[in-house]
Amino acid sequence: MNPRQSIMLVAARDFRERVTSRAFQLSTGITILFVVALIVVPAVFFDSEAPRWEVGFIGEPPTGFATAVATASGDAAVVAVSEYASRPDAETAMEQGEIDIAVIEDGQILIDNNTDDQLQSAVLAGLAGISIADRADQLGIEVSEISDLLTGGYEIESIAPETEGDNEDNRIFAFFVTVVLFMSIVTYGSWILIGVIEEKTNRVVEVVLGTLRPHQLLAGKVLGIGVLGVAQVIAIGIIALALLPIQDAFDVPSAAGSVLAWAFVWYVLGFAFYAVAYAAAGSLVSRQEEAQNAAFPLTMMLMTAYFIASFSITGENPVLRVASLLPMFAPMTMPLRIAGADAAAWEIIVSLTLMVVMTYGLIRLAGRVYAGGLLQGAGRVKWREAFRASDV
Amino acid sequence: MLEIDRLHKTYGNVIALDGCSFRVERGQLLGFLGPNGSGKTTTMRSVFSLVRPDRGTVRWDGNSIDEATRLRFGYMPEQRGLYPRMKVAAQLTYFGRLHGMARDAAKAAAGDWLERLGLADRADSRLEQLSHGNQQRVQLAAALIHEPELLILDEPFSGLDPIGVEDMMAILLERTAHGAAVVFSSHQLDLVEDLCEDVVIIAAGRVVLNGAIRELRAHSSHRYLDIEMAGHRNDLARAFSEFEVVASGDGRLRLRLDDTTPLEPLIHRAGELGKVRQFAYTPPNLSEVFREVVER
Repeated sequence: MNPRQSIMLVAARDFRERVTSRAFQLSTGITILFVVALIVVPAVFFDSEAPRWEVGFIGEPPTGFATAVATASGDAAVVAVSEYASRPDAETAMEQGEIDIAVIEDGQILIDNNTDDQLQSAVLAGLAGISIADRADQLGIEVSEISDLLTGGYEIESIAPETEGDNEDNRIFAFFVTVVLFMSIVTYGSWILIGVIEEKTNRVVEVVLGTLRPHQLLAGKVLGIGVLGVAQVIAIGIIALALLPIQDAFDVPSAAGSVLAWAFVWYVLGFAFYAVAYAAAGSLVSRQEEAQNAAFPLTMMLMTAYFIASFSITGENPVLRVASLLPMFAPMTMPLRIAGADAAAWEIIVSLTLMVVMTYGLIRLAGRVYAGGLLQGAGRVKWREAFRASDV
Repeated sequence: MLEIDRLHKTYGNVIALDGCSFRVERGQLLGFLGPNGSGKTTTMRSVFSLVRPDRGTVRWDGNSIDEATRLRFGYMPEQRGLYPRMKVAAQLTYFGRLHGMARDAAKAAAGDWLERLGLADRADSRLEQLSHGNQQRVQLAAALIHEPELLILDEPFSGLDPIGVEDMMAILLERTAHGAAVVFSSHQLDLVEDLCEDVVIIAAGRVVLNGAIRELRAHSSHRYLDIEMAGHRNDLARAFSEFEVVASGDGRLRLRLDDTTPLEPLIHRAGELGKVRQFAYTPPNLSEVFREVVER
């Protein structure tokens, strides 16, 4: 039997035993329900309605006042106008929260602490628009000429390939993908951890290692559980993508395909890196209770990567930039930068190269720690002892 | 033939193996004995490269053991272990395949073994649902499924009930009769004496005695004399007080003698004490040989 067959045999067993387990089926079902709920519930219950601005007017508002204010706000709000006979009436209404702002015909605008800055500007701009249109009319200037007059006839044209708005959407999308990958790596990493400890506590590992080398067992386990994890992520991803169009809070960005492709590359690399590390950590302890202690440094690294990513949705920052080059953080930070078009080509190449080199190094190192750790008896083995104990 | 050739292994300051050497032929059943911590498990693990000796070699048929060769060996470690949640038949098939069997052959062999162990109806049960004794049987089947040429069992009898012990003995004898080399360790020495002809005794990492049990007993420099007298008398130990009394009471006496001690005066003295029912002069049994060499 050649090494590849041994690895495949181990991988097939780990895959089969887990895919048929009740725990896996339950957790997959719950995850899918959760993702569906995350997308469907907001779409059903929260219409993305524009805010409603209540504007009071003392006296008689000029024709088209409400429309002018709404237009000046860029249609960000629905504007409702109520008329008041006197200033005290309007002040009372404002105190009671019935209106957000009040305009007095003689040229004053009343605000309080709750008045939105945007609303103030919109009211001013609306009034200015009406007044300009009135004067222009008196002077015999066509409405269409007014904007030319205001801009001197110049127009702004962007020659940037993508607008920042697109990058923003791509980043948010990449972040969601990152969250899924983070959860997947944490979940399957702990499965590997538990699987390794289980083999060790059952002592079955001694029989298995009589037939194949420790690094083959390691590779088979990572592969079997990894394929399961990737399959689950793909299934959840397909369901999520199919459901996204039914909600309108978030548009699937134009670059979703390339974001997903990059995320997949980083996921596979990140999974390999962390899975191998989790396996090595598992080999060092002999009781399930110690599992979380053994995996603590890895969990911390993953959490750090996740936090860096979540604080960087809005854009580039130096911490993100450094993290995206380091193998332990790159899988969760680099996809964000690529999606936001912030990463230079050389940075992607350096990061990928470091990731591959480090993962290979870790496989070699972990294989040795794994071999040493597995055959040590009870208790907790130190990384260095395990490394020394093995010469395989 | 398995050759263990001058194995040395230290763990920190602890010397586990100190030049351990012995051989096992095909068709030979060898009892591998020694007190706790004498290096038995380390020796057995060396055969499967679970331990890498500091010095010395392990050979099979004159060649060092590579991965392909190792697949033809079977190993039952002292601390038993299989996958608790895996189904019994699937588990045996998996171990067959790990040893290089084709899928169909492994499946068929798993079915045969379960039939033979009377567990055919439990093929689809999870291992953890079986009784302790039945789990032990499955463990043995996992070591034997690929019909190994060399079978190494670490304490195969520990934890077995009398019926389990008999089954285990029958299977070991059968594998030996089929031409396998079989090595097993045990602390149940009377059982070893019943089961096999040859033993190796190891103490502090080196072999202190090696050979046929019958010859080892005969070569001992000690003999045991059992005397049984009529009546429930308790004065026998006093009458033979210049000799080493191993046990006495209720008309019986067991003495440990040098093999040079002349017997005639003892026969005479016994005759003077009263009616002799039994007078037996025997070499030490295996337990006694074991104690002699290990405590030396």
